[in-house]
Amino acid sequence: MTTIAIQKIYIILSKPDKTDFIRLSRFLQSAFYHVNMTSSLYLITENLSESMPQIREIHKEIGRFLSEHLFARLYVHYVHPVNSLDIEDVKSCYQHIKQAAVKFDQEGYMHQEMPRLMLLPVIAPENKLDNKSDNKPDNKTKPSSLKPLLEELKNSFLLSSLYLNRAASDLAQNKEIQRVTEKFYFSPDDSRKMPDILCNLFCHDILDDSLDKLTSDSLDMSEQCPASIVVSIQEGTIYKCIDAFRKKISFANIDEINDRDDFTSIYNESGESKIDCLKCRERVADSFADLPMPQDIREETGALLCHFGTLRQDNEDYSQAVEKYKKSLKLSPVEEAGHIYFRLAVCYTMTDLYDQALKAFSSCELIYNKQYYFHFYKGLCYFGKGDYNGAIEEFSDALRLKPNKEDMIRILIYKGTCFNNIGDYEQAVVALEKAGEKAGRVKEIYNALGFSYFQLKNYDKSIENLTTAVEIDPYSALDYASLGSNYREKGDFDMAIVMYEKALTLDPDMILARENLERLKKKT
Amino acid sequence: MLDVRLSNNPVWHKCNLLAFNPSIPQSLIYCLTLIRRLLIKLSTMNVLLIEINPFIQTSTPISLGYIAAYLNANGFNTRILVIGQNTSISCAELHKLITEFQPALVGFSAYQRIMLYVKGLAGFIKKINNNIKTIIGGPQTTFMPAAAFADLDNIDYISRGSGERTMLHIARAIENNTPFSDLLGVSYKDSAGSVFDTQPLESFTDLDQYPSAYLNDVFDYSNMSEAIMLTSRGCPHNCIYCYTPNAFGHKITFHSVDRVIEEIKWISKKGVKKLWFADPNISFKPKRVIELLDRIIAEDLKMEIWMQTRADLVSTELMQKMKQAGVSTIAFGLESASEKVLEKLDKKISLDKIAEAIRLAQRQDIEVELFTIFGLPYETFEDAVKTLEFVKKNKVKIMGNTNSQQMQIYFGTHMAKHYKDYNIRPLNNDRPAYLSIGSQYETDCMKSKDMHKIQELWKANSLDGGKRIVS
Repeated sequence: MTTIAIQKIYIILSKPDKTDFIRLSRFLQSAFYHVNMTSSLYLITENLSESMPQIREIHKEIGRFLSEHLFARLYVHYVHPVNSLDIEDVKSCYQHIKQAAVKFDQEGYMHQEMPRLMLLPVIAPENKLDNKSDNKPDNKTKPSSLKPLLEELKNSFLLSSLYLNRAASDLAQNKEIQRVTEKFYFSPDDSRKMPDILCNLFCHDILDDSLDKLTSDSLDMSEQCPASIVVSIQEGTIYKCIDAFRKKISFANIDEINDRDDFTSIYNESGESKIDCLKCRERVADSFADLPMPQDIREETGALLCHFGTLRQDNEDYSQAVEKYKKSLKLSPVEEAGHIYFRLAVCYTMTDLYDQALKAFSSCELIYNKQYYFHFYKGLCYFGKGDYNGAIEEFSDALRLKPNKEDMIRILIYKGTCFNNIGDYEQAVVALEKAGEKAGRVKEIYNALGFSYFQLKNYDKSIENLTTAVEIDPYSALDYASLGSNYREKGDFDMAIVMYEKALTLDPDMILARENLERLKKKT
Repeated sequence: MLDVRLSNNPVWHKCNLLAFNPSIPQSLIYCLTLIRRLLIKLSTMNVLLIEINPFIQTSTPISLGYIAAYLNANGFNTRILVIGQNTSISCAELHKLITEFQPALVGFSAYQRIMLYVKGLAGFIKKINNNIKTIIGGPQTTFMPAAAFADLDNIDYISRGSGERTMLHIARAIENNTPFSDLLGVSYKDSAGSVFDTQPLESFTDLDQYPSAYLNDVFDYSNMSEAIMLTSRGCPHNCIYCYTPNAFGHKITFHSVDRVIEEIKWISKKGVKKLWFADPNISFKPKRVIELLDRIIAEDLKMEIWMQTRADLVSTELMQKMKQAGVSTIAFGLESASEKVLEKLDKKISLDKIAEAIRLAQRQDIEVELFTIFGLPYETFEDAVKTLEFVKKNKVKIMGNTNSQQMQIYFGTHMAKHYKDYNIRPLNNDRPAYLSIGSQYETDCMKSKDMHKIQELWKANSLDGGKRIVS
């Protein structure tokens, strides 16, 4: 039987009743046996004071677990709102909460190491002004009232974080608040509902995990995020991850779990998560793109979005890649912009959006104009737009910058085709013959050369090249038809008829070959 | 046997006696090891070696690797479990592991700051099966007082010194159902709870007598980003804060250059491209280190290498060779930039010499790291600031190993024995007997608040927020 190591447990506390305590204790006893040796517990409540009876029960289980397992470490996060009217209540709650850690603080001091139990408030400051017509007092949490609370908590070794919605995000810029705050969580919405807060916290963790991956050797973004479970006490349901929680796909009911083994078997029976983790990580990074986060996190998120762009680009999903790069550009530092513009431009090129591509190429010209592939892609844009002279100029620049052999052949073929398209067949021959020298037997080169020589009325050379083309690809109806036209122009109508017939055998719908054949048959 | 899932878990370093690859290089050393392995009667006894440190990322457990290779070569079936910050393992998984592998003996690497965790794991294992014997070894235990048994309910043996031969004696005793007979190099607590000390056990003076953890595939290379090697053990110097000289009787013993090269070739073949030489004094014999570097160059063993050595043992020639051989970082022990303090520490090295060594390395474009400590005897706050200034002045990046740390007073150091002579006052005399003074002290020149202040100063100047973890 597969076992698990849960890294994070998120619990939405409800208004407590006594039956909840028993269920909760039983559940925690089982769950703790399956947590990682260092793990986090998030307790999310609308009202810290009201949840204190439940929190005390949870502390009992934590104390029991840590005392029995001296190698286990637990970070407990208390997530709750606070407004200017209940700050004193909150302070008083934390005085009680702190008691849970005393024993472990002493143990940590004795062993000259961080305590195994860390208590970490996550405070969501109230920022809505009540309707004055209701004659209710203003309960908006101001920095001046928040700071003493955070300071007092810090002095008691309770390192606080702030959960800020958009309206309160300016608190993160306040130097005094920064000094007493361990971390800022940003919310993309103004919801104060506990499930929404939980989702946002979880998303922050996914973002952190993705950013860790970005800087580590393991870049596999499709990997599941660290094993977590979400528990709703009120509903009695347990979920495997945030996506499952959002979709209300629970894997168990709290009441089903009576001992440690139940937990494992139910967890395993529920099967592997069906969640598309890569998409989830992408969605999370997207959702953070517009948040007023500190510059360093914005830049890291920009790098992450750029990485997702490259993944999309590698899978040839260019439109999604474009979206990621555009978002990344908004967040990334100036020195990175050129590289992102280049990738963006390539994606535009691949989706035939040549004008946008050329605009993006011009934004990275300074960095890339010494790279042959930059000019090649620009040439492709002009080629796609039908501006063959512009394309020839870029392809020539690319060739001057000494591309590798394979790319040189590609560029020469494109360049030759451009010359063909503007009717400069002699130059086309020069480029294509050079490509032929480098490439060996590549059908496209002989086909294009056949066309150029035909236009130059050098039918023997044209036949020579087209014959090579059909040797390489005996199923090319077009090349047989072209051979037919060459023999026709040379006056060898019998051979011309043979070639047109071969072309029609391979492609009976080739109108040009049929018309030519009929005309020749009439002549003969 | 463990199931496939657990065997593939990166925290496992699998030691399978019969899984050697016959196509490996047939050096004399290796052949002898193989022959010895095949001649030895295989034991059915399993031994589990655990290294736990939840504060740092896992790294190659080289010391446990030596013990595993030695026990395996003598017929035992040994596994290594490394639990670090990045390891994912629960109580349920640990329980499954113990019940399935059924070790008769579990050994723990013991360091000051993880003693609680070692205690916890030993207790957990004993609860699963009280017949499993447990031993602690490593820097914390060589000089740990036997009185520590009183606070270590679930530990049966304390190893004193190099662990290979001690562990073999214990494993054989357990296998023979006489777990407390014919032991050497340990203190133990018998079934009745009585504590005994045994005679010391001499280590091999020729380190090549220890089978190689690398050549015997003790480690799982698939997750190894950096190999750690000890080409020598011990140190002949007298630094009063250091455990190593006393632990090795002020002697230094070596592996042959052939053996080291063989190991490097092997790990290179396995795809490992970074190498950390953990010798305290790799250039103690300059000729030997030059030979080693020459061989690395001649064999074209492309490795990114980290080394540490005394600053007075390097020369331009050596630095050039180091660069050529792939040394990307060299670490020197500065400790303090106060001449007065260095003299009191009996460090016998001048600041000019250290500055010169830094310049020699920097000229070769080798990154320099400086080990520094504050809270040294006779060191004032101003002296401690001088150390920070010296590092900055010599353009050494303050990050990683260069982040300073407070002196730790460990068991076995001159300082631990004579701290009163240096006017050092321990702050906590109620600590368990398995812990030394560590960082809980004040000197007559520096109080706790000064130590905190200097630490914050280093942190403020650090490029990585002062992340250096002490063991």
